[in-house]
Amino acid sequence: MNRFKRDTFDDPAVELSGVTLRYDTADEILSDIDIRLKPGTFTFLTGASGAGKSSLLKLLYLALAPTQGEVFLFGQRTSALTRKQLSALRRRIGVVFQDFRLLEHLTAFENAALPLRVAGQKEANYRDEVLDLLRWVGLGERVHALPETMSGGEQQRLAIARALINKPDLLIADEPTGNVDPEMGRRLFRLFVELNRRLGTTIIIATHDLALIREFESPVLRLQHGLIVRDVEYGSA
Amino acid sequence: MAKSTPLLPESDAREAALFFVVAALCFLAVLATLTARGTYTAARAWSAQVEGQMTVQLHDTDRRGAEQAAAVVRGLEGVRSADVLSREEIERLLKPSFGAGGIPEGVPLPLLMAVETSRANPATAVDVNAALSGAGYNATAEAHSDYAAEARHALATLRTAAIGMIVLLTATAISVIAFATHAALLARKDIVDVLHLAGAEDRFIAHLFERRFWTLGLKAGAAGALTALAVTALIIFSAQSSGSRSQLLPQLSLDFWDLVILAVSPVAAGLAARWAAGGTVSHALKGVL
Repeated sequence: MNRFKRDTFDDPAVELSGVTLRYDTADEILSDIDIRLKPGTFTFLTGASGAGKSSLLKLLYLALAPTQGEVFLFGQRTSALTRKQLSALRRRIGVVFQDFRLLEHLTAFENAALPLRVAGQKEANYRDEVLDLLRWVGLGERVHALPETMSGGEQQRLAIARALINKPDLLIADEPTGNVDPEMGRRLFRLFVELNRRLGTTIIIATHDLALIREFESPVLRLQHGLIVRDVEYGSA
Repeated sequence: MAKSTPLLPESDAREAALFFVVAALCFLAVLATLTARGTYTAARAWSAQVEGQMTVQLHDTDRRGAEQAAAVVRGLEGVRSADVLSREEIERLLKPSFGAGGIPEGVPLPLLMAVETSRANPATAVDVNAALSGAGYNATAEAHSDYAAEARHALATLRTAAIGMIVLLTATAISVIAFATHAALLARKDIVDVLHLAGAEDRFIAHLFERRFWTLGLKAGAAGALTALAVTALIIFSAQSSGSRSQLLPQLSLDFWDLVILAVSPVAAGLAARWAAGGTVSHALKGVL
């Protein structure tokens, strides 16, 4: 089922206009960023450590507000939204954090189901869906496991399952292959590609892994010292 | 279907300490309320009792003259009874001053008359003095209500102090809970962040903390109230079993309203905890995007 909810077909899924980000009085982390990503695109974000990738992603998943400029998601100016509207918008975004951010006291099933539980759905309504997804990411046998008993790769796949359970319109992943072996990394990327093709989900992945970027042939945004220095075709980042 | 794990982890050592603090505050608040109420009720009963009483001291007369004076007073409108006190009755009144050995022989005792006035249109000390003077007696009548006025003033002060203490204890409890909630919020920041980014509304997150602290407040309040009940029962038991000295203490007992206070205080503690936690979380979340 494609649950993509565009406000209009002409709206970009993601638009940053003249965005600058500064923490307190420190130097600018991001400077005058302009980005427009159409719905259903698959985009890599790359750059050296400290280039501002994570900060840019935080703006996109609404953990931060820009110091200057505007962030539009699905055609909505985020600075004009109420807290309730921001929460509703966050439910359209799935995030795979670099450090997973799984809740240690919840089982794999409960972690994966978290966005649905937060949205007020009853377990009886989502149980089968969550189990299917856990099987899809290879965790069908680990449904009752606590995160601390899972390997790095399993935790990563669980974080991905949690990001996908809502069938988000926008999926953001911060170094999703940072803790897994190359083969698992490719498997995860194939999963993202499948999601993008099957559901039309807009996907933004921050990664250092140039080999994977070349293999998956998608547009690349390259950040350097807080600036987008290249908005390039795949394979040449 | 198995019950879902709470989104906030089970309580930790910090919450055990908070439980103790809330229980102790609730204990003090309930004890203050019960003590103030018990004292107030006992003193009010005493005050109501002495309102209609008067003592008349008769000078320059003997017992027969005193009995005749009593008959004069009994004839007054607004007087229910007038009786000359026997030596035994006077000794009983003076026992706190002279002790169990009684009044030594040779100590002159005044002739005293106990007068009880009617509830409706009671005679005053002025009426009694005028009647006795008119009949040729040298007498001084004093209404006990003069002393009751002082007692009423003391009671009003006691009530204000008790209300002040309860307000202070409640405010302290709310502040402690707000502080503890803030600490819990910081300790659970990772969870709150994940819930927030997963699209949880402020109300949803605040409700998690409200539920946790409501339960804590309810349990701690119940523990505090039950301890206060036990201590109050002990005080009553001690007062009642102290024999003759118990007459110097107010008549302590637990009535229906005391039990209502005991039943309501845990709910009040729970509600205060819930309110403090909800307010703290909502305020803190407004500081993030």
